[in-house]
Amino acid sequence: MPQRLQHVMRRAFRSLWENAYLNSVSSGVIASTILLFGVYLSVQFNLNNMVDTWDRDVHVSAYFHPDVPEQRRFDVRDQIAKRDDVSKVRYVSSDNANRWMQERMPAMEGILDELGSDTLPSSLEISLTASAAKPGTIDDFARTLSVTDFSDVDYGQEWIEKFEGFLSLLKLLGAIMGSLILIAALFLVMNTVHLVVYNRKEELEIQKLVGATDGYITAPFLVEGLIQGLIGSILALIGLAAVHKLLVARLKDSFELAVSADLHFLPNSYVAILFIAGTVLGVSAAFFAVQRFLSKVN
Amino acid sequence: MIRAYHVTKRYGDVHALKDVTLKLGKGEFCYVTGPSGAGKTTMLKMLYGSVQPTEGKLLVGGVDVSRLSRRRLPYLRRNIGIVFQDFKLIPTRTVGENVGLALEVLGSSREIIDRRVNAVLNIVGLPGRGSEYPPTLSGGEQQRVAVARAIVNDPSILLADEPTGNLDGAMAIEVMEILRAINLRGTTVMVATHDTGLMNRFPFRKLRFEAGRLVES
Repeated sequence: MPQRLQHVMRRAFRSLWENAYLNSVSSGVIASTILLFGVYLSVQFNLNNMVDTWDRDVHVSAYFHPDVPEQRRFDVRDQIAKRDDVSKVRYVSSDNANRWMQERMPAMEGILDELGSDTLPSSLEISLTASAAKPGTIDDFARTLSVTDFSDVDYGQEWIEKFEGFLSLLKLLGAIMGSLILIAALFLVMNTVHLVVYNRKEELEIQKLVGATDGYITAPFLVEGLIQGLIGSILALIGLAAVHKLLVARLKDSFELAVSADLHFLPNSYVAILFIAGTVLGVSAAFFAVQRFLSKVN
Repeated sequence: MIRAYHVTKRYGDVHALKDVTLKLGKGEFCYVTGPSGAGKTTMLKMLYGSVQPTEGKLLVGGVDVSRLSRRRLPYLRRNIGIVFQDFKLIPTRTVGENVGLALEVLGSSREIIDRRVNAVLNIVGLPGRGSEYPPTLSGGEQQRVAVARAIVNDPSILLADEPTGNLDGAMAIEVMEILRAINLRGTTVMVATHDTGLMNRFPFRKLRFEAGRLVES
């Protein structure tokens, strides 16, 4: 290892040890920030997953005009089944629909009997392929269905679109909040590092007087920042894993919700983002703190 | 070694130095003297690049300090040893580490640092004291450590700002004798002081400042 690098590493680890308290505070601030950021990413990731799943489950109900002959209905079904954007088509006769309704709503049986067996029209339950089951494209699909055959076309996409709109707003708010949290953390860590720098003010001034370059003075602080960032990130990820485990267990115990099974921990790419964010935070805070100090020393 | 041409330093409307022109040769020993506020410290600070002249030209070892960029400043200082009245030692570092600092910033190896540190501690009369900490030393010993740090990388110029100001008579003489010995090895030495007793005991050229003007050279 080159001599200069050896000196830098020695000075960095020495300072970490000598300023253990302040360095722990820096790591703690980084850990809290990355944990908050991680929670935000987890929420986003799981909400996106949910919307994707719902998108896949979307199907179109197309209700026939009562005067469309049965054979024509089967023909239309077969035509639609051949389309590339359709994965499955099921014909539901008026009788089957009524039976289905009576089974699920026994209290309504009298009313349904009075209204007659053809209260509910026969329909096609159309499942779309994954690529077609997207907001916008599903709308286009519905418009292609013949208005002479169908009296109404229904798909539960509208509320998903609204939810996606809400999710976009949430993402925007999250991005603003996330940025503010990161900036606040940067200032917090920077000020903590600044305390470490001021603790060693005399030493750094002497280093300048004996011919140390700004780079030589800055380097150990960057190493310290890197280590603080790594420790902070690791702590944050441990915390995030604990929160995730606790949340899944609580949801299972309290509500027996299937949703608990759908709550995923962040994938590796997100974990890497958190790790990088923590180290960048540590290093950049150290860099700005030292530069602020050096700009005042001649 | 040092040349100043009509150097002026102003802080707002206040003149710290006015139209100073001087020349100091290689291996010379001289005093910068005068009453408090005369500009002695400003002159020294200019020589090691801590402040820049408002007007004029200042050459130190061939380097034009008046135009020196912040980036080049460390390289000038590696050729200048500086000793302060308050020693400026790092109390949490050993004597050896304090002295070795000037070599460490150059990226010297541990072996070279240890060898040089031991050699200069011998020169200043502190052999084998490298593992002690500055607060455990007397004022005179601390100043000798500061001198050792200033000469450890063999600078061609040694600047000392009131190096005996915090020392009693005997200790002050010891430090002056060390500075003289260093000068005899070829280093240009400039000592800012207003101690006339010391200047009489060690008579060298005097650069006398009054109200920022060089009145005796």
